[in-house]
Amino acid sequence: MHQDILEAPNPLSRHTRFDEEHVLQELKHMLPTQTPLKDFIHHNTLHAFQSMKFYDAIFKASKIFGYKVTFNLEEYRGLYQIGRIREDILDRVIADRKGASTVLAWKQLVLVQEYNETVRPRIGRLRAYWKSAYHVDLDNLVQPLLFRILGSYMDQGIALWHFPFEDQGLLKAIRALESNSFTSFFKTKRVKKLLLDENDCTLSNLLNILVGDEAYFEQYLFDQQFCHRGWSGMAAALEAHPEAILYPKKIELRDLILLELLLEIDALEADLGNGWKPLCQKVKAKPMELFADVKTTELHEVYCIWQDAFEWSYYDEVLAGLQQLKNGRPERARTHKHFQAIFCIDEREDSLRRHLEAMDKDCETLGSPGFFGVEFYFQPENGKFYEKLCPAPVTPKYLIKEYGSNSHRKHELLYTKNSHTLLRGFLATLSLGVLAAVRIWLNLFRPKMSPAISNAFAHMNVDGQLTVENKSPQDNENGLQIGFTVEEMATRVEGLLRGIGMVEDFAPLVYVMAHGSSSANNPHHGAHDCGACSGRPGSVNARVFAMMANHEKVRNLLILKGLDIPAKTQFLGALHDTAADEIAFFDEHILSEKNAVAHQKNKATFERALDLNAQERSRRFASINTQADLSHVREAIRLRSVSLFEPRPELGHGTNALCFVGHRSRTKGLFLDRRAFMNSYDYRTDPEGKLLLGVIRPLPIVCGGINLEYYFSRQDNYKLGAGTKLPHNVMGLIGVANSSDGDLRPGLPLQMIEVHDPVRLVILVEHYPDVVLKTIQIQPEVYEWFINSWVHLIAIQPDTDQFFYFKEGKFIHYVPLTQQVKSADDMQHLIRSAQEMKTNHIVDATQENLSVHVIQE
Amino acid sequence: MNQFLPYFILLPLLGLVLSALFPNRKEKIIFGISITTVALHTIGLVALSLLWLLNDRPTVFYDGLSLYQTHDSDFSIDFYFDGITSVYAVVASVLTFLVMIFSRSYMHREKGFKRFFNNVLFFYLGLSIVLFSGNFETLFIGWEILGVTSFFLIAFYRDRYLPVKNALKVVSLYRVADAALLLGIWLCHHAFERNITFSELLDPAILNEHFTEEPIYPILISSIFLLAAVVKSAQFPFSSWLPRAMEGPTTSSAIFYGSLSVHIGVFLLLRTFPIWESSEVFRAIVIAIGLITSLLATVTARVQSTVKTQIAYSSIAQIGLMFIEVALGWHTLALIHFTGNAFLRSYQLLVSPSVLSYMIHDQFFNFIAPQHNITNTLWGKLRLTVYMLSIKEWNLDHFMYRFLWNPLKQMGALLAFIPVRAVTFLFVPLFLVGFYFVYNRELLPPAALEYLPSAMAVIGIMLALKAFKARGNAQLSWSLVIMNQLFSALSIGLHEEFEHAQILLFLSGIVVSGIVGFFCLRYLIQAGESISLDRYHGHSYYYPRLTFVFMLAALSLSGFPITPTFIGEDLLLGKIDEHQFLLLGFTALSLILDGLVVFRIYARLFLGPNEKGYHEVAFRSS
Repeated sequence: MHQDILEAPNPLSRHTRFDEEHVLQELKHMLPTQTPLKDFIHHNTLHAFQSMKFYDAIFKASKIFGYKVTFNLEEYRGLYQIGRIREDILDRVIADRKGASTVLAWKQLVLVQEYNETVRPRIGRLRAYWKSAYHVDLDNLVQPLLFRILGSYMDQGIALWHFPFEDQGLLKAIRALESNSFTSFFKTKRVKKLLLDENDCTLSNLLNILVGDEAYFEQYLFDQQFCHRGWSGMAAALEAHPEAILYPKKIELRDLILLELLLEIDALEADLGNGWKPLCQKVKAKPMELFADVKTTELHEVYCIWQDAFEWSYYDEVLAGLQQLKNGRPERARTHKHFQAIFCIDEREDSLRRHLEAMDKDCETLGSPGFFGVEFYFQPENGKFYEKLCPAPVTPKYLIKEYGSNSHRKHELLYTKNSHTLLRGFLATLSLGVLAAVRIWLNLFRPKMSPAISNAFAHMNVDGQLTVENKSPQDNENGLQIGFTVEEMATRVEGLLRGIGMVEDFAPLVYVMAHGSSSANNPHHGAHDCGACSGRPGSVNARVFAMMANHEKVRNLLILKGLDIPAKTQFLGALHDTAADEIAFFDEHILSEKNAVAHQKNKATFERALDLNAQERSRRFASINTQADLSHVREAIRLRSVSLFEPRPELGHGTNALCFVGHRSRTKGLFLDRRAFMNSYDYRTDPEGKLLLGVIRPLPIVCGGINLEYYFSRQDNYKLGAGTKLPHNVMGLIGVANSSDGDLRPGLPLQMIEVHDPVRLVILVEHYPDVVLKTIQIQPEVYEWFINSWVHLIAIQPDTDQFFYFKEGKFIHYVPLTQQVKSADDMQHLIRSAQEMKTNHIVDATQENLSVHVIQE
Repeated sequence: MNQFLPYFILLPLLGLVLSALFPNRKEKIIFGISITTVALHTIGLVALSLLWLLNDRPTVFYDGLSLYQTHDSDFSIDFYFDGITSVYAVVASVLTFLVMIFSRSYMHREKGFKRFFNNVLFFYLGLSIVLFSGNFETLFIGWEILGVTSFFLIAFYRDRYLPVKNALKVVSLYRVADAALLLGIWLCHHAFERNITFSELLDPAILNEHFTEEPIYPILISSIFLLAAVVKSAQFPFSSWLPRAMEGPTTSSAIFYGSLSVHIGVFLLLRTFPIWESSEVFRAIVIAIGLITSLLATVTARVQSTVKTQIAYSSIAQIGLMFIEVALGWHTLALIHFTGNAFLRSYQLLVSPSVLSYMIHDQFFNFIAPQHNITNTLWGKLRLTVYMLSIKEWNLDHFMYRFLWNPLKQMGALLAFIPVRAVTFLFVPLFLVGFYFVYNRELLPPAALEYLPSAMAVIGIMLALKAFKARGNAQLSWSLVIMNQLFSALSIGLHEEFEHAQILLFLSGIVVSGIVGFFCLRYLIQAGESISLDRYHGHSYYYPRLTFVFMLAALSLSGFPITPTFIGEDLLLGKIDEHQFLLLGFTALSLILDGLVVFRIYARLFLGPNEKGYHEVAFRSS
């Protein structure tokens, strides 16, 4: 190995002292923060770099860790060839970034120049000396046992025997094991002694034995921990969020590192005998500053140009579509609405809303984050734990309990752990073997719902009651107030309704439509549920909100606050299963006679919209013939959600790219191919933007988090995503790995991201640019997303309909280059005309997307 | 009835060839051909089984094509059908049918969609050959196919490190089983003085005739087949490969390692049962192995914190019980047990991803915090000891290295004094001289003729060991393997009168594949790629076709039944006298080593992560 490899790019900023706490903090900051898979909360995969500008950050992360963060030139050029990246946009991007006079020169570089694109990451270079100088493959010697111990320790219930002394903490438990048994995890006495001596068993001491020179300690620990970022990340995440698992486990990253260091010393001692010298004796080069700045190269500039051109080729079309729609369609005032439906802002609801509006021209759909402004913990009847039902960063003070339900969860015989013991296993193979064969057969040819399938509708029992109203302050449990007081309810109902601009013209029926997703054989099922409900179905929230909004005392309070909901208006909670395309309505018995009749009619409308929604989704599923009869398509869609063999029950947030904040009239009639989050907001009811911060604040973290998780999992599905699902092995009920000896794989699996075009989210806000600017600047953590370009922001000026793009702290007027977007008069025809991707390579995959269309009425 | 038997081999072969003609994108056609093949096979099997039952279970034997025949040896492809074949084949075909349907959607859009279905069909072909085989030679062909398809299916995700590493690990052990089977065939050949068929094994008269004079044979033959069975069925002490084989798509793990592949050892025991039936001692050994395996595997299963490894160890434990059942003569129970275990474990593996949501949900309503009540008594200490040993898998994985692979490596290291150049300057001329004497044996004194064969075999094994230890240039290792094969041929050629055709048969495949392999390596060098063996290069990323060509060369060089080398190998082995155990041992060892070296060259050059350029590269630990 060459000496210069370890040379620090910037030797001045090198720490020579080892600051243990500081290094641990840094590690925890850099490691993946995904918690166990039972709840899937999307977040920016490169959150640790968020304080930097997007491009600087991703290239830095790439240089340090070897991640692939953009497409390579061949892929970008392929996208250009097929027209997915437009030439006029490319020219404009170059002109904007480099000046109009350099367009030709840069275009030459971008289009034809050859570059060496290989990235040699900084991580791992120090530890590589074990192999090059000592001929020891430490990872092979240490990782299998280390992972098995960690897996067994954190296991939530796969193993039949739990880890002894697990209540004491990892290292203490191992100490207890070592001193109370006749065998050892270690091969040498020296290491066992090191372990048992609590005063000597410190990071510094062990590193001193292993590495020698303090100046290398930090680099060594990063090298070591990033060899298995999955396990280390999980330990760090559970240390920070012990509540993320049901079976409590005391785990600290420090313990993990200590154990690994001990195992490393042990392996070296056993392999090299006791005369070996610390690593740094063989290392001549200086310690490296892993996080030193990365020089921007010409190749980086080329990637930036391509990525910008890739993104704007799509955005430009969307903006042109918005403009065209606005010009071509005079706003019609409606006096009588059949019903209103508040959906989650989730982009998967875009198509259902569109079909609903097409089915019933006198309905109105709105969008609001799917927890509907009510934050609480939920305890299902007989449940031993609480579930958080609100966005992940929020810590609720309320508890909603379920009671009075008659349904009971069934068990699945074939999942019995008894089959894993010897004698009962013997009986099980003799008795259950044939049953298993029949089960496989049935599931292949007649899939149906079973207790083993994660069922969105089972999250709450429809026949159960909820403790929505708090009657007295004494009514609390574990520090949580059971239910909300009338005032608290009114505040929440008002907050939501005003936020989405729903202050007058109430329809007699207002549906509060939560969403969730059913899927079979899918450890990542939580990633398909509602992001605003901490990765769970939002059924309870919808029901709770409806009950609050129907509450007589709440209504009275609201009138005092100037929000007059007519007495005949009733709210009804419902849940849309985005995989099965089915809807369940809750508490239908409360409806007035007149509303009940109307509801039956609306239900039929919902059914027809669901048919069309299923058909629209089916175009991306090879196993369903989109041309087939609607009822067939609908049934096929439903079966996917209960089919064990289906790794794509639905496609989740794949293709998400837009987030629209404004009145529905601005997007109604625009075909956005399920790519837009849509948050209702009416600037007319909030001219000074007082409510705007509350509306915008969750968007970057929820929608931007989803978008960036998809972005990075798509760009590097191997390192930042979870890879293909097919070989996944469930580890300890907390995560998945590929192999028996593999590292945990955070991120999204291939089957979820293959339809996704990795473009950053663009948030479009219908308001005056100065109001938007003022709003986003209020909170630095919100502003960071925009100023560092992790999400794009465009303000749509209400009077002039002009677009203003937020760039480097200012709003700049943007004129779309697209002259005309396509029109379609038959949505079904449009959907049926879409082609299926040939392969999931981006150049093929992107062709499955349909361009923006204006739908003719 | 016997005329139907060949169709059960030809049908999967036809399906395999047909489906291999279509490109990966043609998912529907590839699936269509595959599923039709297996469906027809299943229907045919059920019909045949019924016919067989209705006819009062006759002996069905098909005396097939003779690939090579001389006065003392007859390499023929024979087929045989009985109750064991029927149960195994019906279970296998039903499971394969179900898993294939499962895989249609499951594997959709996977880069290796075609590779998967081709491999499953290839596996199915191999399995059919094993199950329908009428003699050990035929069984061996199927057995080899199973080994190779296992390698491909474990290394299905060939651009990651762990699958490739584990595939090599598994195939190395399989190679031991292969050599054991070959030795068994050799022993049978000498014991019966001809190639024995399975229907003849059922005849006590034939067994008595040959075994009474040489009572050592039944024990030797059974032991060597037992070794093969123990390895393939992951019994003690070879259990640790099974959990590590769960690297491919869940469906392939379900069908191969959950059910079919891993029960082949039990099948071999059932087939060879007549040979060892009368030996109480040997039956006790089988029972002991089964019992030890069951006990160790079941405690290991209890501590597994991952779904798939837990199923693997549970399955191993049940197979241990099946070993006991076979040894006790309870064959019907063993077959029922096999059926149940195969279906149950396949199902459990197929649904293994749902365990997460099912169990978390269950926990949500029924969780009881566990009691921490381990006492500081002898019993408590023993429990902790068993727990820790189970976590370490009773050191069985470590054991393989320590007692199997490391000693061979150390022997290879001892040969460091032989310079690399010696291969060309010393061994090639030596071989040519030797080759000259093969055709002019009369020129040599009789004393030399007595020792030369062993000397040549020793040189051969030295070359093989050197190749096994070598981590440098692939060309060198490749030529060492070829030289080793040549010296093995030489040692036997010098040993006794033989027919030239036999040697030519043997050499034809080696020479052709050797040259093709060299051509592939040259191609890589000229393209500026590294071919050192000290790490994985993943050249299949940029050179998929070259990978395929080299794979064929590697297979035929390692004696895989696609070239005549394979027949030659068997025939040459037959030339070794029954008393020349040393020569036999050397030949067997060099067979094992050759296979390992060839697979490793293939894996190191063409598999694993490719780090050149800017594309997605997996972490080593994933």
